[in-house]
Amino acid sequence: MVTPLLAAEDVRKVYAGGTQALRGVSLAVEPGTVHGLIGANGAGKSTLIKIVSGVEPATGGTLRWRGEPAAWASPAGALAAGLATVHQHTPLVGSLSVLDNVFLGTQTRLRWDAGAREAELARLCERVGYTLDARQQVDTLSVGARQMVAILQALTRDPALLLLDEPTAALSPTERAVLFAAIRRLREQGTAFIYVSHFLDEILELTDQLTVLRDGRVVTDRPTAGMSKQDLVTAIVGARLAAVEEPPEPAAPQGEPLLEVVGLGSAGRFGPVDLTVRAGEVVGLAGLLGSGRTELLEAIFGADRSATGVVRVAGRTLSGHSPRAGVRAGLALVPEDRARQGLLRDWSLTRNVSLPYLPGLSWRRLLPDRQREEELADRAVADLGIVTGSTETPVGSLSGGNAQKVVFAKWLYGPAKVFLLDEPSAGVDVGAKADIIGLIRRLAAAGQAVLIVASEFEELLGACDRVLVLRRGRLTAQRRAADTSLHELTALASGL
Amino acid sequence: MTTPGPVRGWRRTLSLRSAGVVYALVGLIAVLTITSSLQGRPPYLASVNLSNILDQASLIAIMAVFMTLVLITGNFDLSVASTAALSGTVALELVDRYGVAVAVVGALGTGLVVGVVNAVLVQKVGVNAFIVTLGTLTAVRGVVQVILDGQSIAAVNPALHGFATARFALPVPVAIIVGLVIVGLPVFAVLRSPARRRAMGAAAGPVVAGVLLVFVSVAQPKLLSQTTPVWLLLVLTVATSAVLRYTVIGRNLYAVGGNAEAARLSGIDVDRYKMGAFVLNGLVAGLAGLLYAGRFNSVDPTVLTGGELTVIAAAVLGGTSLLGGSGYVAKSVAGALILFTLSNGFNVLNIGSNYQNVVQGGVLVAAAALYTATSSRGQAFLKARFTKESAEPEDTTKESAVSGSR
Repeated sequence: MVTPLLAAEDVRKVYAGGTQALRGVSLAVEPGTVHGLIGANGAGKSTLIKIVSGVEPATGGTLRWRGEPAAWASPAGALAAGLATVHQHTPLVGSLSVLDNVFLGTQTRLRWDAGAREAELARLCERVGYTLDARQQVDTLSVGARQMVAILQALTRDPALLLLDEPTAALSPTERAVLFAAIRRLREQGTAFIYVSHFLDEILELTDQLTVLRDGRVVTDRPTAGMSKQDLVTAIVGARLAAVEEPPEPAAPQGEPLLEVVGLGSAGRFGPVDLTVRAGEVVGLAGLLGSGRTELLEAIFGADRSATGVVRVAGRTLSGHSPRAGVRAGLALVPEDRARQGLLRDWSLTRNVSLPYLPGLSWRRLLPDRQREEELADRAVADLGIVTGSTETPVGSLSGGNAQKVVFAKWLYGPAKVFLLDEPSAGVDVGAKADIIGLIRRLAAAGQAVLIVASEFEELLGACDRVLVLRRGRLTAQRRAADTSLHELTALASGL
Repeated sequence: MTTPGPVRGWRRTLSLRSAGVVYALVGLIAVLTITSSLQGRPPYLASVNLSNILDQASLIAIMAVFMTLVLITGNFDLSVASTAALSGTVALELVDRYGVAVAVVGALGTGLVVGVVNAVLVQKVGVNAFIVTLGTLTAVRGVVQVILDGQSIAAVNPALHGFATARFALPVPVAIIVGLVIVGLPVFAVLRSPARRRAMGAAAGPVVAGVLLVFVSVAQPKLLSQTTPVWLLLVLTVATSAVLRYTVIGRNLYAVGGNAEAARLSGIDVDRYKMGAFVLNGLVAGLAGLLYAGRFNSVDPTVLTGGELTVIAAAVLGGTSLLGGSGYVAKSVAGALILFTLSNGFNVLNIGSNYQNVVQGGVLVAAAALYTATSSRGQAFLKARFTKESAEPEDTTKESAVSGSR
């Protein structure tokens, strides 16, 4: 038997907060193969990638490199041993040329020998079967070409194993074909790959061996050949199917359309998209990373200036694309990145909650009424069960779930009719997650309209009346939550 | 984790970090008073000397108030001194030919135009504020040089000079009443407020100011007579702090500077607030230029050169963050007073003015270092640097735990 290039044996990871990300993972990557690594969100893929590439140490188990215990404790160490990683969002220096980026950080010689470097780049391009203009500035390249630059950058270290994390999330079909051709060529030349992807069709097409992770454990580890799509989906979803909450009762007769979106699109991001959400309805948007789900939500809210199309709230067409117009018309957005987009971290809970509708809490819309602000904050703390020492605590010091509740609270006590929620339960603990789903159902019961984006589809099934599937920027399917399953949604969103 | 909660109430307001600039000013004056009396010079605290400092500092301090506003919104303006110079030049060119009204309108209009140009280039075109205002700094100074063509000009009409150097005295009884009202209102508010401890924090500033005013009216009534720029400074400072602290506009100004994206997604018109700060800053630079030209009734091509740096230094001494989202105008005024007290002290003590810049620069850097070191982030940084075993700050592990659990 060939010695595996990389072998993980019973690798475990427990984070400081007590989260068990990996509960004993073993896998072996043979030389000259493409090894697929898949799993739902939270299955432990990212953690495993971090451990293998030296970003984080494991808390148990061993890693072996060519049969010997792996001695690296940093990404640089892994790179020196012959394991290169291309991360999902590769940090390239946009203002430099392709050549400069490909050889970024290479320190074989002190002198920058442009001629020799160009010759070397040409050799690399030939190996990969893809041609790039060495002098072009990276900013001006397409996303796909940038991905190739990142791969070339990794190849300059002449790695025996290349780890690709979601390399196709932002690629067009043609770019994808080019990338696959390059991977196959390199495999013929003896390079091994770990290929991480959400797209199951890609995994089946490209890989030789595959490992499926679920809840921090390996559930399937076998050759790809002979594996069917259905097997794969079952392996990923597994017993979670049974754990899905009962779908909400068949919705009460629904009211008039509160949110209507007609022909909304944004060049290069998504669209055109049409959708309607009625009063009292909760609609989910099921889409994978890079499907344009966040972009769609922000465009509805008015935060994307280059978007085209019509958004109507309660029959009134929004004029111009600005969040201000959206808020005035009755839209509310709970953004994906709450620290960067949702909160002022140094401000107290009180001030954060009162921010969107402050004039309404003020004397003659000018002088904020402190007492009303404080009453509002107290009410939010009581209604949402926010755990905090005082309403004067800066929100930056709250836990993820409590901070997210503050972002919700910003919109709950104003005139908002349509709630756009982007990953409302990302990074919050189980208890807070249940609170948030309960809150969403209460909003609907009160006659508001809710549109949710979530990458955990169980959550959509648990909270929504209806689910729309968004794939590569377009709505490709629509299901009533009661009539679909996690199985079907995963398949639809992954493009099977 | 046992992080101590934020210190509350008046103790926080009067803490070294919050009110340090005021303590520094008091300390500086004390040192100068003691030194000059030890050396047998005329008493430093004489009302003539104090009035001098106030009058000299007033124009820079007025500009520092509105610079603070721009800095709070997360922008930067280097062009104020040039703008003031141009406004002063325009005023003196116009006053003899068309009269005072046209001169005033011309000067303020000039400031307004520069402010609008800055605002549009930064917020609408999207050029970096530092670059834009470096450009207007240079170009506007160039316009001054074109108009003056190497000569200095003086006005015959004495009206501007009269206005800028006129002294108004607040009658002692009025001052005492105002002082008592300033003390009384916040105290009344504290007694009525349910959250008494925090309200006391907000009241500490006005109470100290009111007590000081009453004290001055009794002990040094001559100090109640000040020039127009000083009174203007007082009015503008009080008005701007009130707007910043008590109104929706003020809250939104802090919000757009603290996190522009969160403010935008909360439905606040970010551009409007950021541009408004720029325009106001230009207008006030025009006012300062008008007063400056009036003070001497003449201008030359190099007038106020480098003044923008003094203005920014005053704001930084007052603890305003260049990253936006925080700052207090009253503290910027205290910062301006420190800078002018320093140079005044050098004159009074007869120390060579050559050392003046060294000391002012040193004070500025020391103050900025102190603010950074006493901020919570700075404390964490220093702690991590000086304790070897905790190489990884706690926050980081927490963050990765959150992302890892997803």
